[in-house]
Amino acid sequence: MNETERKQGEWEPKIIAFLCNWCSYAGADLAGVSRYQYPPSLRIVRVPCSGRVSANMILDALRSGADGVLVSGCHPGDCHYISGNYYARRRFAILKRFLEFVGIESDRVNFSWISASEGEQFAQVATEVTERVKRLGPARHLVKEF
Amino acid sequence: MSTMNEKITEELRQKARQLLESGRVAAFLGYASGSVPMVMRPFVARTPEDADRLEWNSFCVLNLANYLPALLKSFEPPRRPNEPPPQGPLPKVGVVATGCWSRNMVVQIQENQVERERLVIIGISSRGMVDRKKVQALIAHRDVTAVKEGDNTLVVAGPGFEEEINRWDVVRDNCKSCVHPDPVIFDDMIGELKGERDLPDRFSQVEEIEALSAQERWKWFTSEIQSCIRCYACRNACPLCYCPTCFVDDSRPQWVGKSIDSVDTAIFHILRAYHCAGRCTDCGSCESACPMGIRMRILTKKLQKDVLQLYGIEAGMSVQEPLPLTTYKKDDPQDFILTESLKGEKK
Amino acid sequence: MLPRAGFQQWLQELSGQFEIFGPKKNEKAIVSWQRLEGGELPDMAPGVPKGSIKTFFFPQPETLFEFTARPKQDDSFRLREPEKRQKPRLVVGVRPCDARSVLLNSMPYKEDPYFQQNRQNVILVGLACRNGCSTCFCTWTGGSPVGTEGLDILVFELEDGFVLEPVTERGESLLQKASSARDATEAERQAVQEIRDNAPTSLPEAMEPASQLVQKDLMALYNAPFWQQLSDSCINCGTCTFLCPTCYCFDIQDETLRGKGRRIRYWDSCMFPLFTLHASGHNPRGEKVKRVRNRFMHKLKYFPERFGPLSCVGCGRCVRDCPVNIDIRQVMKELLAV
Repeated sequence: MNETERKQGEWEPKIIAFLCNWCSYAGADLAGVSRYQYPPSLRIVRVPCSGRVSANMILDALRSGADGVLVSGCHPGDCHYISGNYYARRRFAILKRFLEFVGIESDRVNFSWISASEGEQFAQVATEVTERVKRLGPARHLVKEF
Repeated sequence: MSTMNEKITEELRQKARQLLESGRVAAFLGYASGSVPMVMRPFVARTPEDADRLEWNSFCVLNLANYLPALLKSFEPPRRPNEPPPQGPLPKVGVVATGCWSRNMVVQIQENQVERERLVIIGISSRGMVDRKKVQALIAHRDVTAVKEGDNTLVVAGPGFEEEINRWDVVRDNCKSCVHPDPVIFDDMIGELKGERDLPDRFSQVEEIEALSAQERWKWFTSEIQSCIRCYACRNACPLCYCPTCFVDDSRPQWVGKSIDSVDTAIFHILRAYHCAGRCTDCGSCESACPMGIRMRILTKKLQKDVLQLYGIEAGMSVQEPLPLTTYKKDDPQDFILTESLKGEKK
Repeated sequence: MLPRAGFQQWLQELSGQFEIFGPKKNEKAIVSWQRLEGGELPDMAPGVPKGSIKTFFFPQPETLFEFTARPKQDDSFRLREPEKRQKPRLVVGVRPCDARSVLLNSMPYKEDPYFQQNRQNVILVGLACRNGCSTCFCTWTGGSPVGTEGLDILVFELEDGFVLEPVTERGESLLQKASSARDATEAERQAVQEIRDNAPTSLPEAMEPASQLVQKDLMALYNAPFWQQLSDSCINCGTCTFLCPTCYCFDIQDETLRGKGRRIRYWDSCMFPLFTLHASGHNPRGEKVKRVRNRFMHKLKYFPERFGPLSCVGCGRCVRDCPVNIDIRQVMKELLAV
C-alpha cells in the first residue's frame, strides 16, 4: 500500500486506460492541452486500436493491482483501421457481461468512444470512471497477492 | 431383442468397416469400450478389423471433434511451416458425430482447422449422454464394476449391490438443455433425425446465477473453481482449443501464474471460457473431463446465452454463417459503452 | 487398541502439537486432504482420496525463497527464506500405497532440502485397506494393502475401534501419548491378522510380475507398436500426472508482483507442451506420442533402472480419473508382452 492509499478518504484509485492511438489518445492529449481538469487516477497505455485490446490485457491489469480499467476507441465508423472498433464492441459487450456474471462489479471495467476532438469528453469520462471506481473502493477480487 | 445402442453400434461398425475397406477413409474416429465402467476410450480405427472394436453407448462424452485437426494433419506428408500444403486430395478421416460435435466441426471448418472434403461424417441424433458423476452420486459413491445399459435404464453393479437407474435422471446437464440433437453436417446417418427440441428454459442454470448479487456470484464462482488443480483437462478436452501456444503457457507477458493460486485459477477459468465465446456448442466435454467435478460449463453457457441474445447467432449451425465474434453489424447494441450511456442520461 | 472415542481423543490431544490433516469429503462428495479439527475422524471409505499425498511433501507450489524486487531499496534483490510452518503436520487415514509413494519420491529427492525437510516434519498415520477397489493394483507394483513402508503408524479399523501398530520410533512415541490405549485382545489380534491375510487377495485381478520390465530391452519397449494407438486417445491433459502420487517433475519460476518477488517450484507434467522445451524452441518430446510414452517409460523403465522399484504404487488414481481411459495396467501388460 502506498502513501495515498494509507489514509482513508484520500484513496485515489489506479485505473489503467487503454486508449487507441488515433482517437482517444489524441482526445486525452487535447484534454491536457486545453487544460480540462480531471483526476490523476488514470495510467494510460497507448494501443494501436481498441480492437487490439484483449480480455487478457484487461484481466492482467486487474491482476496486477489496478482498481479499474477503461478501454476507449474511436467512435463507430471512425476507426483508422475501418472496422477494428466494431469487432472490439462485440467482444467487449460479451466480456463486460461475463465479468459481471462471475461477480466482478460492473463499474470496474469501462468502455468508451472518444474522438481526437473530444478533449472535454475525455475529461468527463476520466472523472466519471474515477468516481465510479471510487464508489466501489479498492479492487480485491482478481488482485494477485502472495 | 437388442437395445437401441446395440443397433447403432452394429450399424456403426458396418459403416466404418465399409469406409475403411473401400479405402475411402484412412482412419475412422469413434469410441471403444474402456477398462473401467462409464468411461469410453476415443479410438482411431485404422483397419477394417479395428472397426469391430467401435462401440456406442451413453458414455461417449468426450467430443471427438477435439482430435480432428491433429488426426488429419497426421495423414499429411511432413512439411516445413512455410511450405504450401501438398497438391491433390489428401487422405480422409471418418468420424461419428452428434449435434454438438458436428457443430464443432462446422466451427473448425470456419476457422480453417479442418476441411469439409476430408471428413466423412456419420451422424447420429443424440439422446443425451450420461454424466458418470451423477451416477456415482446416486449410488453413494460406491465402487462400480459394471454398468449395463437398456434403452431407458442403467443397471449399475458393484461389490454387493446392483441398482437400476432411470437413464434420463443421470443425463448430463448440457444434454438436458440441448435443443439441437441432430447433426448439422453429415454424409451418412444412423437412425432418424429427431428435429429441434423446444426448451424455453434451456438457460435456467445460467439464470439462477444471474439472479444473485455480485457478491454472491463471486462467491459462487470462486467456490466452484476452488478445487481446480490446473490439469487443463477442460481445455484439452475442448475442440475449440487448438492454439499452438495456449495463453497459460505464454511467458512474455505471463497472463496467469503457473501454480495453484486462487486469482490465477480464477483468471484461467475466465479466459478459458471467454476464448470459447461465440464458438462453444455446449458439448459438455470440459465438464465431463474434469476430475474435480467443476461445473465450468455454466460459464460457457452464459457466453452462449449472451451471444444469442445480443447477436442472434448460435455457434456452428451453418458453415455459411460467420462466427459471431468474427463479424459485426453497424448497429450492434452499445448501451454498455460509457459515452453512449452518459448521452442517454443527459437526454 | 483404541476405541473410536479414544482415537478421537488421541487426535484431539495431538492437535496441540501438530496440524492434523486427513481425507475429508467436500460438498461435491470429492474426498481430499483437509484440516481435521477437534478430534475429527478422517473419511475412511474404501479407496484413495482424489489428490495424492505428495502435496504434503512436494507442495503446489513450494516457495524456495522470497525477495524484494524494487530497486534502490535497502533489501533489494536480497534473498529471504520463506516463512516456516509453525507446527509439524500429522496426516491420518493414509493408505499404504500413498505412504509408499513418499519413499519412492524420496529417492530422486534424496538431496533435496525442501522435500527432506517436509519428510521430517510430516508424520504419517496409515490406514490398512480391508478391500481393494476395482482400480487398485498395489500388489502389482511391489506394495501391499496392509504395507507399512513410509508410514509412522499403521491403523487397522475394526468394528468397535482401531488397532494401532507403531512402525517408526517417532510413531511409537506418539502412541505412548494415547491415554486410553490398551493391549489388543486375542480376538482383535486375530481380526487384524484376517485383514492382513484377506486384503491382498481382495484385489480384483491377479498379480503381474511388473518388476520384470526392468530386464527387458529398453529400445524394444521404446519402439513398441502400441504407443501410437495409446496416444491416439490421449488429450495431453495433466490429470494423470497431477493426481499421481509418484509424479514428481517440477518447474521453477520467479514471480514478481508490485515490488515483491518469490521463486516457486511448482508441478510440471510431461503431458504439457512446455515440458522439456528447450530455449532453442526444440522439444525432444514435442509430439503427443512421445509425451505419452515418456510418462509410462519413466515410471516403468527409466526409474526402476536407476533406483530399483517401479515409480508407481498402484493407487489407481490415473485409471479412475483419466477422461479417455488410458489404463496403466494395460500398458504394463502390453509392455510385458513386448
